[in-house]
Parts: sequence; structure tokens; C-alpha cells
Amino acid sequence: MSVIKIEHLFRDYGGGKGIFDLSFEVDRGEAFGFLGPNGAGKTTTIRHLMGFLKAQQGTCQIDGLDCWDKRDQIQERLGYIPGEISFFDDMTGTEFLKFMAGYRRIDVGSRQKELLERFEFDPKHKIKKMSKGMKQKLGIVAAFMHNPDILILDEPTSGLDPLMQNRFVELVAEETKRGRTILMSSHMFEEVERTCSRIGMIRSGRMAAVDSAAALRERHLRTYTVTLENETLAGAFADDFGGSRQGRQVTVTARQSLEEIFMNYYGGGTND
Amino acid sequence: MINAALYKREWKGNWKLLLIFGAVLTMYISMIISMYDPEVMKTLDSFAKAMPQLMAAVGMNADSGSLLGFMVTYLYGFLLLVFPMVFSILRGNALIARYAERGSLVSLMAAPVKRRTIALTQLAVLVNGIVLLIAYCTIVELVCAWYGYAGEFEVSELLLLNGGLLCLQLFLGSICFLASCLCSDTRSSIALGAGVPTLMYVLQMLANVGGRAEGLKYVTCFTLFDAEGILAGQGSAAAGAAVLLAGAVVLSGLGVLVFDRKDLHI
Repeated sequence: MSVIKIEHLFRDYGGGKGIFDLSFEVDRGEAFGFLGPNGAGKTTTIRHLMGFLKAQQGTCQIDGLDCWDKRDQIQERLGYIPGEISFFDDMTGTEFLKFMAGYRRIDVGSRQKELLERFEFDPKHKIKKMSKGMKQKLGIVAAFMHNPDILILDEPTSGLDPLMQNRFVELVAEETKRGRTILMSSHMFEEVERTCSRIGMIRSGRMAAVDSAAALRERHLRTYTVTLENETLAGAFADDFGGSRQGRQVTVTARQSLEEIFMNYYGGGTND
Repeated sequence: MINAALYKREWKGNWKLLLIFGAVLTMYISMIISMYDPEVMKTLDSFAKAMPQLMAAVGMNADSGSLLGFMVTYLYGFLLLVFPMVFSILRGNALIARYAERGSLVSLMAAPVKRRTIALTQLAVLVNGIVLLIAYCTIVELVCAWYGYAGEFEVSELLLLNGGLLCLQLFLGSICFLASCLCSDTRSSIALGAGVPTLMYVLQMLANVGGRAEGLKYVTCFTLFDAEGILAGQGSAAAGAAVLLAGAVVLSGLGVLVFDRKDLHI
């Protein structure tokens, strides 16, 4: 059953910018990767889902509710990490988290503490003085602390070091296991490949491909058969490259990384 | 209707500004009321007679007999019009447009709080700030008048006068609030929210000078606040205040509606 459902969404900013006839669905308990270069329309799509923008044409629904009309109802169960983190600069991180809990009228307690520990984050400093990575951590804690069922994450790992990126990937994996629905946008292929079961690729506001991560990889599997001088060499070759040997012939397969797949879709484009 | 956590946070922003405005107004109000002295009055009246146009531009006319008349001339022509107006301009802009420009509005939007509630909360912060500022001025005026010239006027007269002033300031505040809701950046929000009230005040100054410019009084909202008329108990002055209050309600409502329906590129 689909939780997030976008049908024929249009938003024309003029000059070829915007999103055009975009449709996709994300099922319950699924982690959906939303890949695309800068300016492709990822954030615009997310703004529609968040109820910041009204659809010019087409529909945007979460759990059967219209994202514009019922935005406050949808937000009850939604966690969001914005692509550009900008909180109230005059507050400390602690004050901000306390404010957000009061503003949402919820009690967060233990979950918040667990998240702070997981990301080794001490929020006592003024937000104004925080580094990009620290603000990102604060954004992650604020998005997850109320145990939302649906998560919309706009380039959530930007600014995080590789260790913290790993922690985040683990967090997303756990949340998926708990049946959360996740939409994660990124221009980093690796993190999407590691966290998402299905991937949509957007280019110039149009969906270029939607498929499972495995299928996307499978489609771009290439097989080579190499004939070598003798069987000894063939055996060594098969061992080194993980191929299968038949006499002097060795068959090897090369998987393109998602990055290469991405370049196949986007290569030569003018979108960057 | 309003969100308590947000209201509390915004009041932290109000206090500092209110303290500054309160201090400056205390100084000016006490200074001017202490100047109520027949001798000094003669000097000021002679100024008004010597340069009637210049003095009239800032609302100061000759013949300000009683203490209240004196206050109307010297406080309600400039100080009590402009200072609360500047407060509204500064606060109004910060309430919505600045959050939209900086992107911190995202945190407020990504929560189960209706946009209408957010806008009404911010409006309440502004309105309460204005009410508190005018109430504080009233107290300072009463204390100063009581200290120097007890029994010079009825308290109810001053309350009526400041009631009219409050209607004017709420109207000016609603212009600032609407500008903040309409604009997505502080530059245009300030251009509109500060520009319109300031322009109206300048037109009021020109209209006060009289002559051919007098017709300008029909395009400025300051004309609707008729301090002398309120003290004289004129029905037209009460109607003017009522129009200002109604206008404030309409413009504020429009601001909430605009914010509720606009696209936010945050």
C-alpha cells in the first residue's frame, strides 16, 4: 500500500526549470531513494510533499491526505530534515530541541537522549556558532525525536563525516525495519545504494527511471568472456577477477556502480 | 488559536525592544509634561506664531490652553505617533518575513501546527506589544501629570484619547503585519511595512502645513486619529477611530489569509 503518492505533478518555474508530470509512489515500510543532480527538482518535489507549495497541476498525497489541504494533519506523523538547515540562530541546540517539543506539544525524553548519544552530539552550544555538521546532527535529532512513521530526508548526510554518515545509514536501516516509510533525496549514489530498496532518478524535473536498487544494478551488469593462453593463466585470472572458467575461457561480470548508471542516464546532459 | 511555545519565544524578542522604547518614551513624555508651564508655553506659542507652517508640520499649533491640550499638541503630533509606529515596523517585519528569508520558518512549518495558528500567534505578539506600549505611555502620562499638576484633567479623558491612539497604532501595526505576510524577504517587507506608514506620516505633515497641500489629508490614515476631536467629544472623531480599528482587523485578517495560502520556497 502506498503511503506517499505523487501523480502527474507540475510546477513550472519557466526556463525549463521546475517539475513536469512527475509521478511515483512509496510503499509503507519502504525506503525510497530520490536521486538527481543539483537543480533537478528534488527539493521542489519535497516542498510539495511538505505542504509548502501548492501543486499547480496533479496531486500529492500522504496516507490518502492531500499534502496542501491537510498539511497539519500529515505533519503529526512526519519527520523532516530540510536540505538547507536554518534554525533559530539565537537559541542553543538544547533550547531549540526543547522549543520544538513544546511547539509540537509532545514529550520526547528518552528518544532524544538516545539520538544525541548515537551521534555523539552535545547541543549546549549556540546554533549560530555550530558547524555545518553539528547543525545537521541537530536537524537529524529534531526530525527523529518524535518517532515519526514517515520520514522525508532532503540530503540528510551533507556535512557529516564518514563515521557519522555510517551511523545515519544504520539509523535509517533500523527505522525501515520498524516499518517506517522513508523518502531520502540525495546526489550521493553510495548512501542511497546502501539504504534504499527502490530508487527514482530525476532529471530536469522528469523521472528518468524508477526501479529497485537491485534491478537497476542488474540491468547494468556486463559480461565478458576472455580467452587466455593456457588453463593455468585462465585459473589465475578467474581467481583474481571472480570469474568462472571453462577451459581457457573465463567469464567475468562487471557491475556498474550506481554512479555509472547515473552517468548513463545523465551523461552529456546540461543539468549540472 | 495560538501556539503557546511560539508565543513565549516571540515575547523574548518583544521585551528588549519594548524596554528600549519604554525608556525613550518615558524620557520624552516626562520631559514634555514637565515643560507645561505658562512661561514656556508663551515661548512655544510665539514659535508657533513666528513659524506656523514648520510647527504645524509636526502637529504643534498655538493655543494649547489646558495640560491635555498641551499634551495633544506636543506629544500626539509626533512622539506618540512615530515611536510606536517604529516598534510595529521592527517587530512586524521580524515576525514572519525574516523567518521566511532566513529559512527558519521551515522548523515552524514542519510540525502539526496550522499556518493560520502560526500567523495568529505572531499577530497576537505584535498586538499585545502595541497595547502594552500604549498602556505604559498612559501610565507614564498619568504619573507625570499627577506629580506636577494633579487634577488638571480627568483620567477618563486621557483614556479616551489613548484609546483613539491605540486604534491608529493597531492600524499601522496591521500594515506592517500584512507586509510581513505578503513578502518572502525582509527587503520588500520593510519597503512595504515601513514605506507605507512613513509615507502617510509625511503626507500628514504636508497636509498640516495647510494651503494647497491640505487635500493630502484625505490619503493618510493619520487624519482618522483626531485627538482634538476626541477630547471635544465629536462623533466624527469616534467614527475615525472605529474606522481605524475596523481597518486593522481587515488588514490583519488579510495577512493571515495570505500567509495561509501562499507558496513558501523555504
